[in-house]
Amino acid sequence: MAAGTIREEDGRPTWLCRKIHGILLDISGVLYNSGGDGGSTIPGSVEAVEKLKAAGYKVRFCTNEDQCTRQGLVDKLGNLGFNLSASEILSPCPIGRKLIEERKLRPYLLIHPSGLLEFNGLDCNEPNCVLIGGAEELFTYENMNGAFRVLLDSDDPVLMATGYGRYYKSGSDLKLDIGPFTKALEFACDVKAEIIGKPAASFFLGALEDINISPEDVSIEAVMIGDDIVSDVGGAQACNIRGVQVRTGKFRTQDEKHPTVKPDGYVDNLAAAVDLILKYN
Amino acid sequence: MAAKIRGVLIDLSGTIHIENTVIPGSIQALKRLRQTGVAIRFVTNTTKESKDTLLKRLTNIGFDIKAEEVFTSLTAARRLVDHRQLRPLLLLGSDAQQDFKGVDVSSPNAVVVGLAPDCFDYEMLNKAFRLLLDGCPLIAIHKVRYYKRGDGLALGPGPFVTALEFASDVKAEVVGKPQPSFFAHALSEMGCDMQSTIMIGDDARDDIGGAEAIGIKGFLVQTGKYRDGDENRLEKPPFAVCRDFAAAVEQICTML
Ligand SMILES: [Mg+2]
Ligand SMILES: [Mg+2]
Repeated sequence: MAAGTIREEDGRPTWLCRKIHGILLDISGVLYNSGGDGGSTIPGSVEAVEKLKAAGYKVRFCTNEDQCTRQGLVDKLGNLGFNLSASEILSPCPIGRKLIEERKLRPYLLIHPSGLLEFNGLDCNEPNCVLIGGAEELFTYENMNGAFRVLLDSDDPVLMATGYGRYYKSGSDLKLDIGPFTKALEFACDVKAEIIGKPAASFFLGALEDINISPEDVSIEAVMIGDDIVSDVGGAQACNIRGVQVRTGKFRTQDEKHPTVKPDGYVDNLAAAVDLILKYN
Repeated sequence: MAAKIRGVLIDLSGTIHIENTVIPGSIQALKRLRQTGVAIRFVTNTTKESKDTLLKRLTNIGFDIKAEEVFTSLTAARRLVDHRQLRPLLLLGSDAQQDFKGVDVSSPNAVVVGLAPDCFDYEMLNKAFRLLLDGCPLIAIHKVRYYKRGDGLALGPGPFVTALEFASDVKAEVVGKPQPSFFAHALSEMGCDMQSTIMIGDDARDDIGGAEAIGIKGFLVQTGKYRDGDENRLEKPPFAVCRDFAAAVEQICTML
């Protein structure tokens, strides 16, 4: 039994005390660990997803992945044994593009080259807003300066970020995520970024809408399972979605002492979560 | 009767010089102040320029200032590193690195951040971040947001320090003015206490506010970055507001 999981006498974890209808799953750190050669499957996760779908659950994959298109992600996960379709995936780039088009903005895109495909055809001349994503090696001083100047030159600076994560795991290394770079620009220009991926409420509410769960209907419940204590667990909980943290991916034991976010439960991995759902829900 | 004045802290840029120009009367005034026998230290926030480079500049324009009298935010960081026997990863410009000559930087157990555009890339920031996550301390020379360079405004160290703080949940120890520890260190070197010390500077917030906060008498000079009414924006008014450094010295001489 996993330490830290509060259980009632019959072994039912508290996060399954009330029936769950919708299931939101994080991808990186839950289905697979990213890294060098396309990454590696987290043991048991392929079967766990199959079992959930076979049991008829509405599942959506909620990711802040912005370094490939949704189809690119489907292909990548396919190579690892997962059978997903693009329509089951919610990711920030398509959401950002929609917002930029609606507001007729011209973005300075500080994102990974593979994520740029989602923005094909957008007018990026004389940018008047900044969209920042997981640019990794493109987070150079000069690129950050470029973003900084667009914001500084704008009367009403708009800074969008695909996420606000602090770091993620790649291979055996932890690497800086978008959050720190977003924070740097916020600090430099006295602006507040608009987060379009997790942990933004708009993202989670969009995910619920996608599986026809009304956030107003408190009797219909959903759970979010992720490895990020703030982005996944905290973000979901703020939308009345239960947040469960897996002890895979970027999970660190210190997370269990997080000052503000207390998950509704912990599980060792996705397979363990799915076993509990299938047994008790 | 107030405590007798025994020590004077003096800011450099904007107070006695601006780049390679002496603020008129400052060389003479400094001589005069020395003749009184009070202890003198120079306290300055630098991030790009090593103490050597700074001293050369001051000497070249005619000041008689010795290395051991100058206390910079970089040397404060250096002292901190020496004192705690840290092996820092240095995110510093090449000239600033001179102030860390001889420091053991193998298998680092601390991170020091100054103004270092060449170091603010993904790889270096990741390296710093991993050290912080392992519990290493983060030392910031200061947290300025941006600065002016040839082609316009550019990001200062502040945003990158903030990025590392956010990523690692480690709060940076900022050295230099207006940190109380910075002033306190200069005082202990002079062998003076707060009540018997004066700080002369052009920065109302960092020089005067910082000094007054720990009981040092602040003399705000109306040169350098001083802008009309700066003294009124402070929580506690400065002990004195003077036209320039020479005027400040004149007033101090009457207090000895
Ligand atoms: Mg994740
Ligand atoms: Mg000054």
